[in-house]
Amino acid sequence: MAQPFHLIRYQAVLSTPKRQLTSLRTTRSVIPQCSRQLHHQSRQTTRRPTGTPKTHLASSFPPPIRRSYHSEHHPDLPPHEYTNSQTTILSAALRHVPTHGFTRNALTLGARDSGFLDVSVQLFPRGEFDLVLFWLASRRGLLRASVEDGLFEKDERVMAGQTLSVEEKTKLLIIKRLKMNTEIRHQWQDALALMSLLENIPLSLSELHALSSEILTLAGDASVDASWYTKRLSVAAIYASSEVVMTRDQSPGLSETEVFVDRRVEDSTAIGEKLTGLKQCLGFMGSTAIGLGRSWGLKI
Amino acid sequence: MLSRSVRRSLGYHARRRVSIPEAPYRCFSCTRRAQAESKNERMTHFGFTNVPESQKESMVGAVFSSVASSYDTMNDFMSLGIHRLWKDHFVRSLNPGSALPSRETDTTGKGWNILDIAGGTGDIAFRMLDHATNINHDHETRVTIADINPDMLAEGQKRSIQTPYYNTSRLSFMQANAQQMPDIPDNSIDLYTVVFGIRNFTDKQAALQEAFRVLKPGGVFACMEFSKVENDVFNAVYKQWSFSAIPLIGQLVAGDRESYQYLVESIEQFPSQEEFRGMIQKAGFLIPGRGFENLTGGIAAIHKGIKPLPPV
Repeated sequence: MAQPFHLIRYQAVLSTPKRQLTSLRTTRSVIPQCSRQLHHQSRQTTRRPTGTPKTHLASSFPPPIRRSYHSEHHPDLPPHEYTNSQTTILSAALRHVPTHGFTRNALTLGARDSGFLDVSVQLFPRGEFDLVLFWLASRRGLLRASVEDGLFEKDERVMAGQTLSVEEKTKLLIIKRLKMNTEIRHQWQDALALMSLLENIPLSLSELHALSSEILTLAGDASVDASWYTKRLSVAAIYASSEVVMTRDQSPGLSETEVFVDRRVEDSTAIGEKLTGLKQCLGFMGSTAIGLGRSWGLKI
Repeated sequence: MLSRSVRRSLGYHARRRVSIPEAPYRCFSCTRRAQAESKNERMTHFGFTNVPESQKESMVGAVFSSVASSYDTMNDFMSLGIHRLWKDHFVRSLNPGSALPSRETDTTGKGWNILDIAGGTGDIAFRMLDHATNINHDHETRVTIADINPDMLAEGQKRSIQTPYYNTSRLSFMQANAQQMPDIPDNSIDLYTVVFGIRNFTDKQAALQEAFRVLKPGGVFACMEFSKVENDVFNAVYKQWSFSAIPLIGQLVAGDRESYQYLVESIEQFPSQEEFRGMIQKAGFLIPGRGFENLTGGIAAIHKGIKPLPPV
C-alpha cells in the first residue's frame, strides 16, 4: 500500500514545476516584445495551441528600430542603491542642506524629520558623503525625468520648427543640470572638497562618469567607436569645470556659467575639428609622399 | 530455482530485520542521570569542549570572576595595547550624544538612552559618556551598564568613582542576563552596545532578539567582537600568537592559564563576519552598507544593525 502512494506523490511533485516551467516559457517569449502594439499581437498568439510564438512574431512584424533593455511593464530602476529607509532620511536631509550644508547635522535633522532617532544616522557608513552621493544620483534621476517631461520639445528652437543636434542637446542638458544646483550653490564647494578626499575619489569619479554618460544618452548620442570614450571624457570635463565656475557665479540665473559652458563646448568642437583637420592633412601629405616616391621608381 | 527462493527468503528476512524496532540504548558505563541529561539538553560550545547549555553560564561566570581584577592589564598585554584604539574607534564611529539641540517638534527626547551590555568594567560606557560630553556637549545622554557577572560590575563601580559621572543619573549599573531583561521595557533604548561580550553568550540569537525588543524603532545595535582574519599569512601569525602566547601571558601575569585558554578557544568558535551579519539580519535589523567593519585585518570586527520603523 505504501509504495503506490509514494509514487503518486512523487509524480505530483515532479509535475508541478514542469507546468510552471511551460507557463513561464510562454510568458517569457512574449514579455521582451514590450511595446504596446506587440503586446496586443501576443494575445492572439497565445490562442495558438503549440509551436513557437517567438518566430511567428518575428516573421509577421518588422522589428522596432530601437528597443530598450527594460520592459515598460516594470518600474524604472532608481538611479541609486539606497534602501527605502535610507532614501527617506536622505530626501528629508536634502531639505536641510541649504542651511546646514552637506554635514552630519543635516543628516541628523533629516532622520528626526522622518521619524528616526539621532543614532539612526548609523545607517550611512560613509556619513555626509552619502548625502553628497544621494544628491548627485537623485539629480541625475531628475534630469532623465525632465527629458521625459519634454525638455527638448519646450525649447524655443524646436518650437520654431528646427531640430536640435546632439551637441545642442548636450549643452542644454549640462545647463539644465547645473541649474539644479542653484539653491545649494553656496554649499557646493564643501561638497567638492568632500568628494576630493582620497577615499571618496573613486565613487566621485564613477558618479561623474554616470552623469556624462546619462547626458550623452539622453542627447541621443549613438557612437560605437573610440569617440564613445572621448565624448564622455569631454562632457565630464566640461561639466566638472563649469561646476567650479558655478560656485563663484553671483549673476542672476547663472548666466555667467551658461556663457562659460558655451565657450567650453565651442572649444571642444574646435579641438575636434582641428584634430580631424590635422589627421586629413597628415593623410594627404603621406599619400603625396608615397606617390612622389613611386614616381621616382621606389618600390613602395 | 531453489537458490533463488532461498535468496528471496533471505532478502525478505533481511528486510524484516530492519523493521524490527531497535533495542533501547543501554549504557552500562554511565549513570541513568547523566544519560537523561545528555538526552534532554542542548549542548553548546565552551571553548573547544561541548557543555550542556545550563552549565555554560556558570562556567563563563567563573572565568570572568577570576579575571575581573586583572582584566585591563591582561587586555593590554594580549593585544599590545591595540584594544584601546579599537574601543576609541568604536565610540568615535558611533558618535554618541546629540550635537544639535532638540527642537520642539522632535519626539526623540533629550540625550540618548544607551545600554552597554557585558560592559562590567565600564570601558565603553565611560568613553561614550566622555564623547557625548566633550565632543557633542550633550549633558543628557545616559548609560546603563549591564553585566551578568557581579565581580565585573563591582570592578566597574570601583572605577566609576574616578569619573565625573559617579553617583549621577547619567550612569547606572544593573546585573542582567542579556538573553532576558524583563527590567527593561520595550522600545526604550537608543543605542545597544556589546563589546567583546556576545562571544560568551549561551544563546546569541536570543540575545539579538532581546536587543531588538528593547531598542526604539530607529535604534542601533552595535557590537565589537573578535572575528576571522582574512589574510592567510597574517592569520597564521595571529593564531600562533593567540594559542601559544596568550595562555602563557595569562599564566605569568594573572596566574590563571585555564581562563585565557578558554578566551582564545571561544574566539576561534565565534562565527565569521558574514555568518554573524546573517544572525543580526535574522533578528530583524536593517544592515547598513556591508554590515561590518574589520579592524586590524579582521582580528576584531564592528557589526551594526538598525531597528526599522514599524510599517505605516
